[in-house]
Amino acid sequence: MKIVIRMLSIATIILWIVILFFSVTAVYSVMNLGITVGEVQMLPSSNGITFSLPFSITNNGYYELADLNLTTRVTDPNGTVLDLTETVVPSIPRGTTVNTSHTIPIDLDAILSMNHVALLLNDSSFNVEIFAGLNFARAVPVQLSTNATIPWGAPFAHFTIGRISVSPHNSTHSEATIPVSFENHAIIDITGTLKLEVYNDSNEQIASGMANINTPSQQSYADSLLVYMRQQDISKLTSSGNMHIIFETPVFVVEWWEQYG
Amino acid sequence: MAELNAKLILEKAMPRVLKATVWGALNFFVVYYLPMMLYPKDILPLDYVTPLIQYAIIVVFFAVVGQLFSGTIIGCGFGIARALVIIAYFFAVSDGGIFSVTLPISEVTVNLAVDISILLLMIVSVNLFNIAKNLLAAIVLLTEKSTDIDLT
Repeated sequence: MKIVIRMLSIATIILWIVILFFSVTAVYSVMNLGITVGEVQMLPSSNGITFSLPFSITNNGYYELADLNLTTRVTDPNGTVLDLTETVVPSIPRGTTVNTSHTIPIDLDAILSMNHVALLLNDSSFNVEIFAGLNFARAVPVQLSTNATIPWGAPFAHFTIGRISVSPHNSTHSEATIPVSFENHAIIDITGTLKLEVYNDSNEQIASGMANINTPSQQSYADSLLVYMRQQDISKLTSSGNMHIIFETPVFVVEWWEQYG
Repeated sequence: MAELNAKLILEKAMPRVLKATVWGALNFFVVYYLPMMLYPKDILPLDYVTPLIQYAIIVVFFAVVGQLFSGTIIGCGFGIARALVIIAYFFAVSDGGIFSVTLPISEVTVNLAVDISILLLMIVSVNLFNIAKNLLAAIVLLTEKSTDIDLT
């Protein structure tokens, strides 16, 4: 019996030493982790915008970091998920540095096809939830979570339509001048074709026209667009009505309605 | 009678008290002073001083009473109690093995969750060993007493 007690004492001491050794070296390893997070970069891409978060992890500890997983979920102010991206680093062995970046592609066509016209016309903000997980020494799973807000600049902020003035163009058509102005708060340049369709208060289309616009980021646009209508339709033009605006770029097409008058 | 009591205190109690004091101080040094020396107060963005003090109090208390009553059934009882208290304490502090904390880092709040189930399992195992050891020690003590033949 006494031998058993002695063996149990020895086993207890050994286990305590293991626990203490692991705890001390684990805390030391965590303190020697070098995590560098770069600035979030917003870059225009072929189909929208790409947010890139460069980061590097230097593992100067005693244990391997495994299954590093960085997940971001971008939602609009209504909570609709716009993007869910995951970056996985399978292993960071001790004494090594891993440089990588977490890239969040925002497909503007996909977003704008979801009837997010408000995002075109009004500045807003995206909520970004960040989840990070890793397996420390393949024994202690660690999870981090946080959230941040990214401002969104509307490409057609403060879109306004001025007073329509009509003048004769030729024997069959008249020319209507429509002053249009907006501010491009987006980080991308607005380059494309703006098509206008004018409807009177009875919802009859009476005129249409288009113009090529090129408004760099953070610049204002103010110009008069010319639309043409048949002579017999001049009388149908009412002092107020609706305007169907279609903006086309090689990447996306968006359309919305505005009131005039 | 008074002389006998003084002799008994000097021969039996004083060594135990001295041993308990030294053992308590040693435990305090290992459990509290050494970690605080290795990881000073502000080195980690967590309040680990309070749990460490609580743990040190538990360990020092049981180390002192364990030494005072060593070799007795009461000592074995305190040994078992110590193991149970430590298991319960670690379960409470680590929230059942998932240790979570909220850290304010500059303007962002970061939620950190660490799954220390394996570490907790090791602590539970070592304390179960301790319980078994103390139970066996108690059995040995009782067996020795019951088999002692008083020839006087």
